[in-house]
Amino acid sequence: MRRNGSSGTKTASFPSDRRVSYLNIKRAAQTRRTPPPRSLALPGWLSFAWVDLPILAVFFLLIVLPLLSVLAQAVMPALFDPKAPGFGLDVSALNHALFAPRVLRSILHSVELGAAVAVSATLTGGLFAALTQRFALPLRALYAPVPWLVFLTPGYLKAMAWVLLMAPGGYLAQLGLLPHWGSDAFFGLGGLVLVHTLSLFPLPAFIIGSALAGLGQDLQDAARLSGAGPWRIWLRINLPLLLPAIALSLIATFAEVLSDFGLAATIARSAGFGVLTYGIYAAASDYPVDFPLAGAEALVLLTLILLVTLGDRLLRRQGALRLISGRSKPSQRQELGPWARWCWTVVIVGIGALAIWLPLAVILLRAFTDTLGAGLAVSNFTLANVTETLSPSAPARPAILRSFGYAALTALIAATIALILAARLDRGGPNLRAWVTGLALGTIAIPGIVLGFGYILVWNRLPGFRDWPFPHYGQASLLVMGYVASALPYCLIIILTAVGQLAPSLTDAARLHGHGVAARLVKVVLPLVLLSVVTAVLLTFIRTVFELPISQLLVPQTGSPVPPYVVRLLGHDDDGLASALVLVCMVGAGGIAGLGWLWAQKHLNFAPKESLS
Amino acid sequence: MSAALICEGIQKQLGGKAVLRALDLSVMAGEVVSLLGASGSGKTTLLRAIAGLTHPDSGKITLNGAEVFGPSRVIPPEKRQIGMVFQDYALWPHLSVAGNLAFALGPQRLPAAEAQARISHALDVTQLGPLRDRLPAALSGGQQQRVAIARCLASRPQLMLFDEPLSNLDSALREDLRSEMMDLVRREAITVVYVTHDQAEAMAVSDRIAVMRSGEIAQFDRPETLYNAPATPFVASFIGGFSLLQGQGEDRVFRVGEQTMHLPAPAGPGVLVIRPEDARPASEHPLTSLTGRVIGAAYQGRCWRLSVAIGGCTLRLDWPGPVQTGADLTFSLPPDRCRILTLDPALNPKDA
Repeated sequence: MRRNGSSGTKTASFPSDRRVSYLNIKRAAQTRRTPPPRSLALPGWLSFAWVDLPILAVFFLLIVLPLLSVLAQAVMPALFDPKAPGFGLDVSALNHALFAPRVLRSILHSVELGAAVAVSATLTGGLFAALTQRFALPLRALYAPVPWLVFLTPGYLKAMAWVLLMAPGGYLAQLGLLPHWGSDAFFGLGGLVLVHTLSLFPLPAFIIGSALAGLGQDLQDAARLSGAGPWRIWLRINLPLLLPAIALSLIATFAEVLSDFGLAATIARSAGFGVLTYGIYAAASDYPVDFPLAGAEALVLLTLILLVTLGDRLLRRQGALRLISGRSKPSQRQELGPWARWCWTVVIVGIGALAIWLPLAVILLRAFTDTLGAGLAVSNFTLANVTETLSPSAPARPAILRSFGYAALTALIAATIALILAARLDRGGPNLRAWVTGLALGTIAIPGIVLGFGYILVWNRLPGFRDWPFPHYGQASLLVMGYVASALPYCLIIILTAVGQLAPSLTDAARLHGHGVAARLVKVVLPLVLLSVVTAVLLTFIRTVFELPISQLLVPQTGSPVPPYVVRLLGHDDDGLASALVLVCMVGAGGIAGLGWLWAQKHLNFAPKESLS
Repeated sequence: MSAALICEGIQKQLGGKAVLRALDLSVMAGEVVSLLGASGSGKTTLLRAIAGLTHPDSGKITLNGAEVFGPSRVIPPEKRQIGMVFQDYALWPHLSVAGNLAFALGPQRLPAAEAQARISHALDVTQLGPLRDRLPAALSGGQQQRVAIARCLASRPQLMLFDEPLSNLDSALREDLRSEMMDLVRREAITVVYVTHDQAEAMAVSDRIAVMRSGEIAQFDRPETLYNAPATPFVASFIGGFSLLQGQGEDRVFRVGEQTMHLPAPAGPGVLVIRPEDARPASEHPLTSLTGRVIGAAYQGRCWRLSVAIGGCTLRLDWPGPVQTGADLTFSLPPDRCRILTLDPALNPKDA
């Protein structure tokens, strides 16, 4: 009933102004004679055309069409052939993907890596969540922000730092901390599992942490009063109740590893450990390109992810126990004896150090030193890398400016589209809402490399799109469009959540006081979700500055943005300059986002600070 | 006095279940009417239908002579000029106190001076003048509620709706705010429909109370009438902590198990309504006395509240002194205060 327009209101008032024209009186008389329709909702087809169609069109163009192209390419190899396109069905590429030893090995590698990391990251993340939430440990500032920082730092940067540490001539070997075999083992499954674990454990930490937060203090107290010791409480009460969250963590981490491109393009590539995502990239962009193979590999990857996502759906449908009620008291942090306290502190600070502080320190160190081999020698320290990054004549500076510009543009466009979509969805029916939310969540699971490949197929090969002037293949406009597509689902979910959290009475009250649809949206809803809109803008900005897979596939002819440039520098062993470039971008993007966030918190946060009653 | 609000034959189904059944309600201008009922009785749905926030399946709603909902016309809520005080107050958190009032007045397009005058008046009568520039988050619960009322007063609505406005406040504050709030409303002579599940609150604020039960109005009367002469066992059980004693009416006698009370009673099964404060010593009215076993006693300051078991029923009685648990107690009831109702077959005796 919320989508009614202004129809039906005309009869309520008869013009009382004497100067009103004859036409107006006649019109008013007519409307008095013919009562408006009983229902105030738009007719079905009109509401579809005005509300649903634009939403679906945006999603179709940005996400569905590229994805469909990839799937079609997998089974119709000649579909996007520039010389002789055809619709012939042919599964030879799929066969090749499933049975050629090299491709088959990359599938097995992806699954093997995903399974190993799912277990190790869930263990690490679960331990981290339990220690931070349930125990009073010192040095909180050293580990509390770690999950967020790790989450915001892209994988290939952490990979870069770990390569600098673990390479045969790297920092650990120089310090005598790493034997030769250790370095060999790093460039293979072991190293990939280590870096993936350290870079993905925040995900299980968030999932298990929020489940732990739902297990109130009363449950613990009841078990203790019944005589259970701390270990018994963990094993018999907490662990069984956390099982759904643990399963969810395993699934989410597995899917993340499958779609990762950052580590695939760095450590895995130099180790010769072929995985699916890099296979797609290589087939789609390395000369000679093999689109049918890329399509087939993408199909395999999407199928694996779909299976995993279905598992996730099944788990959610079964429904975890609902223990979060307004009445349950939040649990208190337990005090430990001195020994246990320091042991666990060492563990948790260690995880934090390995996951973020050490990699950041390594990038900082490398940015300010001349060569890797000279290590920590005083004479090795220099400002040359940073100066070169910032010098007007160097190629790094335009890359930084491009990336920041594209990211700012992407953030604004994606957040604006998401806001309009959220508002329209709020007016649309519950079915549409469920559909688009599901689509957005599904899109998050689509690997960036697959989406990027889809953009190549549509905008480089599809008639009509190929010659379309804006956006155009090979230009920045298409790269920004790709960025927007990959950022849109995140923005939409952040803003939809915020809109959903507004009490309906706020807009009801505005309505009763006579405000129409537009006024309610602009003057009540928008100001109240502005903090979330700004958050979405800032997160998208940071994410886009460092976005690798789509940047890598859709590099504009005018010049490369930062991420592919960093990967190229690393490929040429120019890691000093790469570190300096990354450092400058991190300080710049982090500084902009941090200041923006502080400003927004101060001016746009209307939540009560403390209860005064 | 003319009727300010008339609801006729309001029907509403939600999810296949009837929430409102052919409901009629008429409220006079300047009258305060409460909709009193348990959760699920349909009182909030009726309130939202009057506001226009939900539409009935059929029926007609007339506001000051103009039809706002009917078979041929639906006026949207933004055109009905109805004010509502929400359970959570629904203050716009990004606007100051004065900003909330100004935004609410906006659509009326008043001359600036008049809008200012109305805002100042509403803030004065609610004593919010000094807080006019505060944000809602910086106000106490009671102050927030006053802002919600001021916001409605400033708009001069044709009708004001209250949706359990006191349920978010602690009990100490509730009584003070209730009288303060109703003083304001009465001074401005506004017609009010007030939803609550608390019978004491309904008695205190209303001119008339509509007791609702599964989508129907069980009784619509002045508070005194409801208290002294509840029409059905359901209304009696809902009002004032009354006890219901089941028995059998026979020729000027009401039998409860093996005990007999000499009372004019309709023939057949019935229930005797017993108000706690009516219990008297056995000697005062020997013809209408009863004996039961005391199963609990709680000191309440001005009296002892006894739980007395007779047959399968437990009665709540106010008694001047303590009685040992397990002892038998004989008490009497003034015959003119005894009201016998025919048994409502739908009422589960345990509800009483």
